[in-house]
Amino acid sequence: MTNTEASSLDRKGVPTWGTLTGRLVRVAVALLPLLAFMGIFFFAPLWAVIEASFQDNNGQFTLLNYTDVFKEPIATAMRTSLGLALASAVVSAIPGAVLAFLIESRGGDRLRQIIASISGVLANTGGVPLAFMFVAALGLEGSATGFLKAIGLDIYGTGFSLYTFWGLVLVYAYFQIPLMVIVFSPAIHGLRREWNEAAKTLGASGAQFWRHIGVPLLFPSFLSAFLLLFASAFSAYATARAMTNGTIALLPLMIGNLLDGNVIFDEVNLAKALAVAMVVVTLLAMVPYLIIQRRAQRWQQ
Amino acid sequence: MNLKRVVALAAASAVALGATVAISTPSQAAAINYCKVTDLKTAGGMDALVKAAQKEGALNVITLPRDWANYGEAMDLFSKAFGIKISDDNPDGSSAYEIQTIKTAPAAKQPDVVDIGVSALNGVIGAGQDKLFSNYKVANFASIPSKWKDANGAWYGDYNGIIGIAYDASVSPAPTKIADLTNPAYKGLVALTGDPTAGQEPFMSVYAAALANGGSLDNIQPGLDFFKKIKASGNFTATKATPENYVAGAYKISLTWNFNAPGMIAGAKAAGKNLKFVIPSDGVVAGTPYIQAINAKAPHCAAARLWEEFMYSANKGKFTADLTAKDLKLSGSKLFSTIMGGQNIFVSGGATPILQDLLTKKGTLIDGPDGANVPKGAKVLQPSPDQQVAGKTLVAAQWPTL
Repeated sequence: MTNTEASSLDRKGVPTWGTLTGRLVRVAVALLPLLAFMGIFFFAPLWAVIEASFQDNNGQFTLLNYTDVFKEPIATAMRTSLGLALASAVVSAIPGAVLAFLIESRGGDRLRQIIASISGVLANTGGVPLAFMFVAALGLEGSATGFLKAIGLDIYGTGFSLYTFWGLVLVYAYFQIPLMVIVFSPAIHGLRREWNEAAKTLGASGAQFWRHIGVPLLFPSFLSAFLLLFASAFSAYATARAMTNGTIALLPLMIGNLLDGNVIFDEVNLAKALAVAMVVVTLLAMVPYLIIQRRAQRWQQ
Repeated sequence: MNLKRVVALAAASAVALGATVAISTPSQAAAINYCKVTDLKTAGGMDALVKAAQKEGALNVITLPRDWANYGEAMDLFSKAFGIKISDDNPDGSSAYEIQTIKTAPAAKQPDVVDIGVSALNGVIGAGQDKLFSNYKVANFASIPSKWKDANGAWYGDYNGIIGIAYDASVSPAPTKIADLTNPAYKGLVALTGDPTAGQEPFMSVYAAALANGGSLDNIQPGLDFFKKIKASGNFTATKATPENYVAGAYKISLTWNFNAPGMIAGAKAAGKNLKFVIPSDGVVAGTPYIQAINAKAPHCAAARLWEEFMYSANKGKFTADLTAKDLKLSGSKLFSTIMGGQNIFVSGGATPILQDLLTKKGTLIDGPDGANVPKGAKVLQPSPDQQVAGKTLVAAQWPTL
């Protein structure tokens, strides 16, 4: 506490108006870089996208871009993208949660730290390198494919292919499961040992503890993590783009083709409407995520 | 806030700043404003153009992959012969990226010249559009077929390709026509180079399949049906045909431009693979030519014009590796006629140059790479821009639900 600040308090130690505005100014100045950053890189582009999505190629107001969102072939892309996000979230959330539980309940501090670092790296692996890793491992002539064949399991013979809807779900699991471990571990960590002991002292069985205490406490966290995974798979772009040729129709790829393709040049504003549709879907997933997350945090503190 | 306006303002002030600098530099170059020069004559002849370009010392190109139609050799040769540094922005980028860059990039990042697809051109020329390109008629302008050039020289076609089948030598039997791709032996092996709604190469591949299956340039539907059929049979994989995916064994057969085959074959060889290429006998489609144009905001106006003269040169001369120190001391015009012309560089890459007839007439046409001959009796068909628009509408509507 500096002298200048001390002198601006009145005798009872209540801050005067001068200090209050001073404080506000200081807070505003501190926030300014963040606000400027958000303004330039988030709100301005978002507004530009929304504005253009309501225009036709001549800059006139139209709603046609949005009615197109519900027509074929975009409707198919919307369905496939939602399906992929849902499937990826289901397939990755459950093993991720189990893994997080095992690490938190059985693992020592050191193991926890190592897993946390590894998960941090894996959850951020994506794009072209991830696609290539899987092609090299589980592609038609991939090393893992070859190994499985050598031990008598011809996966491509059984109809498996990496370049399908479920192939993408598998590839996405590579970053989704570690992401689940990262976001779900704190919830398990917050489940206090004393509660389990208290329940046992009062005569509850292990199953009863989980049924009445553990699962109800963890469920909101699980749900919010699930929604995060959903949004993450819904918006993934580069991996699918590097791996596939458009026969698995996905919304982000369709936007990319309309904006940065070599064939279609007159539907840029449609791409913007698709982007707004994606923002809406993501918001629908993220708003409940934030609400649930806030509730879940109450008992974690 | 209107971002576009801010960018435009920044660009405008940068241009203004550049203009002030140019005006305040007293030199005889001020006698010719190369940004306004519309042909070699107004440029003061080849010697003067070379000198002015060398003074600029740099050329900005955009989205030119080195192994695409042998652009790597073209850039190396131009750079070495004239001592002009070439910067290639986003080599694997799209035509849309080129147009967006011209519209929005700051002055220093502006490309001097572009190479875009016909579809991209349709969106940026015509009534009500900003004029993106400078008029400049290359020396061989008269020999460019009139349907592939702007009468004032704002843009002109430069080369095109033919869709063929690239296949790994291990596949048996070797494919010779598109109908072969239904062979059950090719299960999971057939791929396209991308999404036909995004890339000209896969889009023209669908055209080739249409021609091979009873379709025509006005009817691409049989091509879509063909891919639907081989997708259902499991032959057509959704993987993208890229050099990396090929080396990783993700597919073995792809449809591709003939002018990309030499680069692909060399790359495959380096990775220990044996790739072959054949033009199918049942559906031969020639793409619409790619388009050259000089950016109206080109930062290096003389170098841009020299590049276009070079790309449309019908000369038969030396490649980069054959240039000697003595050659480099020649005067601009002599040096220009010593080096291989751009049209023949396209030939060396397997592409069909737009001035092929002129090269043949002058006797300067060099031999293209082996193995890319059109089978005897096969008819090469080329869609018009209008047919292409109709085709892409159908493909865009059906491909996502194939």
